[in-house]
Amino acid sequence: MSDGRHGTSEELLALRDGEGGAWVREHVAACAACAAELERLEQVRSQLRALPSFAPPRDRWPVVLEAARRDRRRRREAWSAGVLAAAAVVVLSFAVFRHAAAPPQDAALRQAMAESQAMEQVFRSLHPDQRALTGRTAGVVADLEDRLAQVDAALNDPSAVRADPDRVAELWRQRAGLLSALVDVHETRATYAGL
Amino acid sequence: MTDTLPLAEARSLVARARAGDFAALEQLYRTYERPVYTLARRLTRSPEDAEDVLQETFLEVCRSLRQWRGEGSLWGWIRTIAASKALMRYRREKLREWEPLEEEVSGARSGEDVPLRLDLEAALARLPERSRTVVWLHDVEGYTHEEIAELMGMTTSFSKSQLARAHERLRRWLGAGADA
Repeated sequence: MSDGRHGTSEELLALRDGEGGAWVREHVAACAACAAELERLEQVRSQLRALPSFAPPRDRWPVVLEAARRDRRRRREAWSAGVLAAAAVVVLSFAVFRHAAAPPQDAALRQAMAESQAMEQVFRSLHPDQRALTGRTAGVVADLEDRLAQVDAALNDPSAVRADPDRVAELWRQRAGLLSALVDVHETRATYAGL
Repeated sequence: MTDTLPLAEARSLVARARAGDFAALEQLYRTYERPVYTLARRLTRSPEDAEDVLQETFLEVCRSLRQWRGEGSLWGWIRTIAASKALMRYRREKLREWEPLEEEVSGARSGEDVPLRLDLEAALARLPERSRTVVWLHDVEGYTHEEIAELMGMTTSFSKSQLARAHERLRRWLGAGADA
């Protein structure tokens, strides 16, 4: 036995977990008592892991579902409000910079906004939040919605709008494109499902 | 527990749940409700507290689904939320360790050191909440002392000493053979 003492619980637990120092490693190799204690610690861990699991006594799913539905409604409302805010920012920016902006820019922006708004109406008419989606479709929808959120965030940045009006028109075109893709995904899915 | 849901299936379910598919969300709930509740039972004082942790965990999962990027274990992500909720409850209620236990275990009052010979389930339940949490997170869930320290707001060395003290107590209560 080295150093005239046994390994402490902390040292033996570290050794059990593969982190023990050289001293305790050598000590355990030579000390039957510490080797037995190490074995016991390993057994306790195995027994802890083998304890049975518990089943919840009551089903909490209805509460979780209701909260998830409320949260989704809130996000949809916030999303719509964000889009309106983005449109307002652009309209205000162009009211301020109307004289400086060249007419073709103005026309291009108005056309892009109109396309986006028209596509959004089509998208909403499909009631996307009431549809069940398969795994792959859901992944595509989630990706499109993420990209849409990024575009909306960019449109909500007034400084960016003022700095580059051409970029704003491009963002609105991207928005219309993403909404169009979402409409395609939902319509395709509805066709397959016979909805 | 190890994640029972293959990663590809977990990614698909999460994507569907994120897109508003409540059937997918329910499948996630049904897959993990038992392990979350079990973890909560080990980390809290009562079945009622554990039920609340289960509900709070899944409300948080619903709100934060976009934060899981599909790169690591879904169970690992949900488990960390559950552990945080349980520990938050512990901190919120400012629960105190059962101080008389210390004397009882050490035999300081009676001068005796007689094993209680509890079974492992009873011995685990008898541990003070903080010690039980460290034992469960480290020995069963596989958390490192560094991870436990971060989760519980303590130092790594404190986590190690808590684990050692808890095992010393278990040894006394279980008897040397640990044949629970």
